[in-house]
Amino acid sequence: MSTLENNYRSPDHEALEARFARGIVARLSEHADHIAPDVAERLRFAREKAVEAARRVRAAGQAQGVGVTGEGALVAGFSRSRWWLRIASALPLAALVAGLLLIQDWQNRSQVSVAAEVDAALLGDDLPINAYRDPGFVEYLKAPPADE
Amino acid sequence: MATDKELADFLKSVEKRAWKRAVYAVRDEDAALDIVQDAMIRLSEKYVDRPAAELPLLFQRIVSNATMDWFRRQKVRNQVVRNFSEFESAAGDGDFDILETLESLGSSLESESAAESVSRAQILQIIDDEVARLPARQREAFLLRYWEELDVAETAASMGCSEGSVKTHCSRAVHALAKALKAKGIAP
Repeated sequence: MSTLENNYRSPDHEALEARFARGIVARLSEHADHIAPDVAERLRFAREKAVEAARRVRAAGQAQGVGVTGEGALVAGFSRSRWWLRIASALPLAALVAGLLLIQDWQNRSQVSVAAEVDAALLGDDLPINAYRDPGFVEYLKAPPADE
Repeated sequence: MATDKELADFLKSVEKRAWKRAVYAVRDEDAALDIVQDAMIRLSEKYVDRPAAELPLLFQRIVSNATMDWFRRQKVRNQVVRNFSEFESAAGDGDFDILETLESLGSSLESESAAESVSRAQILQIIDDEVARLPARQREAFLLRYWEELDVAETAASMGCSEGSVKTHCSRAVHALAKALKAKGIAP
């Protein structure tokens, strides 16, 4: 096993690594601080655009909140009229249903009335109703009237 | 929710490091600027409602994702595989004593005694170059852990790997840097 791998498991080694790494990154930070002016300027521009984007997103979120609140106020302030609007929009449908029901009822009454008239005529006739059960009489009725 | 000032201060504090990280990854300063700008906008637009304390981890993750997106857009999958794969170099260390090297290099870095033989700017550039030469995953772990000062769990979350992998990547990065810097003569 190499020296490297022997040392790899040593607890002190980790502390030593961290100390070395901190030294390295301190130099990296120092080097990064001396970036070209045009790069620094572009980074500044990018940062400002990002902050502006965040501001836009926040503003949009707030506007959405205001919109929702406004709608809530609208509903609360004009709730009665909105209900009337909904009722008014349902009225034609209700009228149609009521009309259909009336037509059905009228037809029923008509049928009942016609049947009642027939029954009344049959019952009020001089001819007894049992005569219609006589096949000969039925044949007589079906037969065309004889030429006089 | 982070205020505009908190967001601006945060971005200002991380923008240079983020740019350097992106430069290390894509090796193109303009592309790195685009990546950082894209990451800043994404952070601002999507996570504006998050508290300021959550911004660092979110931003590091976004920068990593934006970098990956850049690679995807460039359709250089082979380069991605090469850059983001592991280049193991544990073998062949021979008698190289990492403890001794780290100790001496650490002292030199902290005491700046190496500046006596090499100019400060040259040392900074050499360190920068050696960090850039690290395998991508090692460099990412090293920079997130020590430069961005994320803890191991945060680094793992940002990189999408286990904490054990982060420790391994960091350790190997430190070893590689120590060895490379010693080879460059940056040692007492």
